[in-house]
Amino acid sequence: MENTNKKLKIIYGDATLGIAGNQFHYIFNYARGGPESLVINGKEWLYREAKPTFWRAATDNDKGNGFVKKSIQWLGTDMFIDTASIAVRINEKPIAFPKPPVNNQYSDAEYADKVEIVYVYQTLTKPSTKVSVSYAIVPGGTITVKVHYYGNNELPELPVFGMRFIIPTKADGYEYEGLSGETYPDRMAGGGFGTYQIKGLPVTPYLVPQDCGVHMNTNWVKVIRSTTKNNADNSHDQFGIKICSLDKPFAFSCLPYTAEELENATHVEELPLPRRTVLSILGKVRGVGGIDSWGRDVEKQYHIPAGQDIDFSFSIVKA
Amino acid sequence: MQADINWLDDPEVFRKGQIPAHSDHQFYKDYDEAQNDKSSFEQSLNGEWQFCFSSNPMVRPQGFFAEDFDSSNFDTIKVPGHIELAGYDKIHYINTLYPWEGHIYRRPAYTLGADETGKGMFSQAEDNRVGSYRKKFILPPEFYDKNVRVRFDGVEKAMYVWLNGHFLGYAEDSFTPSEFDLTPFIKKGENLLAVEVFKHSTASFLEDQDFFRFFGIFRDVTLLAQPQTHVEDLLIRPTVTDDFKDGLLDVHCHLSSSNIDAVVNVIVKDSEGTVLFQTKQQAAEKIKVNGIRFKQIHLWSNKTPYLYQLIVEISKADGTVLEIVPYHFGFRRIEIKNKVILFNGKRFIINGVNRHEWNARSGRVITAVDMEKDISIIEKNNINAVRTCHYPDQKLWYRLCDQHGIYVMAENNLESHGSWQKSGEIEPSYNVPGSLPKWRDVVLDRAKNNYELLKNHPSIVFWSLGNESYAGDNIAAMNKYYKEVDTSRLVHYEGVVRNRKYESVISDVESRMYASPEEIIEYLQNKPQKPFLLCEYMHDMGNSLGGMKSYMDLLEQFPMYHGGFIWDFIDQALLVKDELTGREVLRYGGDFDDRPSDYDFSGDGLLFADRTEKPAMQEVKYYYGKYK
Repeated sequence: MENTNKKLKIIYGDATLGIAGNQFHYIFNYARGGPESLVINGKEWLYREAKPTFWRAATDNDKGNGFVKKSIQWLGTDMFIDTASIAVRINEKPIAFPKPPVNNQYSDAEYADKVEIVYVYQTLTKPSTKVSVSYAIVPGGTITVKVHYYGNNELPELPVFGMRFIIPTKADGYEYEGLSGETYPDRMAGGGFGTYQIKGLPVTPYLVPQDCGVHMNTNWVKVIRSTTKNNADNSHDQFGIKICSLDKPFAFSCLPYTAEELENATHVEELPLPRRTVLSILGKVRGVGGIDSWGRDVEKQYHIPAGQDIDFSFSIVKA
Repeated sequence: MQADINWLDDPEVFRKGQIPAHSDHQFYKDYDEAQNDKSSFEQSLNGEWQFCFSSNPMVRPQGFFAEDFDSSNFDTIKVPGHIELAGYDKIHYINTLYPWEGHIYRRPAYTLGADETGKGMFSQAEDNRVGSYRKKFILPPEFYDKNVRVRFDGVEKAMYVWLNGHFLGYAEDSFTPSEFDLTPFIKKGENLLAVEVFKHSTASFLEDQDFFRFFGIFRDVTLLAQPQTHVEDLLIRPTVTDDFKDGLLDVHCHLSSSNIDAVVNVIVKDSEGTVLFQTKQQAAEKIKVNGIRFKQIHLWSNKTPYLYQLIVEISKADGTVLEIVPYHFGFRRIEIKNKVILFNGKRFIINGVNRHEWNARSGRVITAVDMEKDISIIEKNNINAVRTCHYPDQKLWYRLCDQHGIYVMAENNLESHGSWQKSGEIEPSYNVPGSLPKWRDVVLDRAKNNYELLKNHPSIVFWSLGNESYAGDNIAAMNKYYKEVDTSRLVHYEGVVRNRKYESVISDVESRMYASPEEIIEYLQNKPQKPFLLCEYMHDMGNSLGGMKSYMDLLEQFPMYHGGFIWDFIDQALLVKDELTGREVLRYGGDFDDRPSDYDFSGDGLLFADRTEKPAMQEVKYYYGKYK
């Protein structure tokens, strides 16, 4: 039914929180610890829940200088993470967490001007630290995502920190406003600012697959697809989603693989057939280094110290 | 002279019967040929050769060089090519360790005692593969009654050569030409050239380059006819006056089979073809024209690679041209003043790369097309200098660098890191060449081959003694040699950093590899004695090349800092068909059951092995453009 009152409709499910509006429908799962469905204009954008990401497939330099061994805990928590708590706010006010039977108080006609759901994650590191991810949705459907990492001095430096969206099918390509080419914090002087269209999801063919395809200083990225996994959807028309920076530019990569998939291959041909799109929106990226590949560290200013809080935010809008 | 297989074991035998090294000038029958760069004095012997592979010397077909030898069971192989890539022997990549690591125990002859002669170490070795090549060719009628030679531009690592069953000689130094005189045994009609190539000899201790370990005839083989009077060697020595306005030119020719009736005409033209100078002399063994003065010269540099043309024309008294030798040369000056390297009077900045010769399909067998592509990539990305790591390249490369204004650090074919770098430790107990008298002449010969061949190229601004070979009397002797024969270039060697004892007698510059910006600052702030450069830096393995700014900033802070050569230009990996998908994929060390290996450590290029640019190239283009 068309939502005519320009408010968000909220569905207080038993295991999920549904939020609907004009041409969008989002489902946030409690037990699975993140948004499970982002449907925009009838197209699903999530394959699995969006989660924070802490790992990049080790570069030759990461291996050579021993960084991977120092930071190995982050690989574990990149793959598996605990949800510590979930909170819901309606029209800027916290509500009692709407699990059964608390949600019996609601109806099929619940509306609001703003819904915010905050996941707090507990990393599987020693010691553990927390990450909170807040999704705030307004009636137009725009989602504002705010990510906060709680610094802990006892933890090793991070390879990367961001949010990972696994998109159900392989994208046709993406477009972004930022720097040309593949850039990293310590390798971005040669990147020219502009709007770039990338065909397909290129994986830089380093001899041994490793982290690649990062674009620094990005104002927005638009992912374009023409396929879904919905068996009843026969359209091949292109559709898109746009991620926009809010207070400061972000970095991102848009690849057909997770860090772990890249990490496992010793050759390009061992990578799986590209089926999905892994969009990582990154608040912090460690430099790649270059002095040598057998010991020298990345320059200090391009590290990600674990002791400092990290904040970044972005919005997800219809493209 | 009889071929002796024991030469493989003896570091004092490295050339037998070879024509002495000489300049790389082309020679033509007339001006038309010179114009079209097509000499009728040359005939290529590339192509299909008969071939027999033997897994060791004991089972090789001895006597295969005889005309009546039954070679009906020989295969055919394409020349030039690596024997491994033809499918005969295992492809192997390893960095510093000698390729026999973990398989065979070897110590270089005489390193552990005067009586440790190394007899049989290679001549009787199970792992010493042998390629026996036979090539039948018809002597072109134009070659009748002329002196005829054969030139091998590159053969790894040791070879014996026969013509029509007669032994001609023996050669090592895989990356410089080896020439043999065929005249005494050549026949009108069909001839049989036979070449026995060994994978290993004492040269293997000196050619331990960090690359795929190939053997075989991997560069061109050419039949050469010589006119009655022939320029055997040409020395062009252009110098620039202190005000950089005028040029002085010395031209020395060494003529062979000099015909006293011949006349030598030495002509110099500008790039447009206007004759600037001309002199005629009666032919003699040595022709010397000294001190030719040119006013208001165009200097050669990266920005303006202006080349003058020298033509040595040899003709009979009646005016019939016998030979035309054209050579492009340039006026430029490199020097050190107040501990700063100056090029044409200005501080010299090296925005360089190290370049191995590479093609993902054919290994170190590369074509003019590959080289031209490399030049265009280099120019496009503001790279101004190339170090020919760690051996002399094909001759054409230097010509292209002359034409395009690419500064060259011309390195000798020498890398012996397996003899002193032990898992990161410096342990030179069996280092070669070291200071061992018996390993002295062989490295001096390599220095000479490099110099004599390439001495006329304006692009070459440094001679480099070799790479990662530690330091001792023998490398000091190479330095001394270059200083004696050539005052127009600087001498470079990095290894002196590992053995400071030789600091004052090896290398005009303080050269390091992979020093951090802080270490460079430390050197430059503490009474530095020599200008500083990085012969290798920014190790571009995989996704790398971060932090280049910190190096480029040093150019602003320290006049004695001169930049460096990025490691390196192109990934060394091989295109092979994937067993599962049939797709062409790139493979690296360890992918051929080759052990021990250093796996993907040869993938450090600014280019992928298929010559596409890595993403990091835009950073190089930016910074090298900024300091162009």
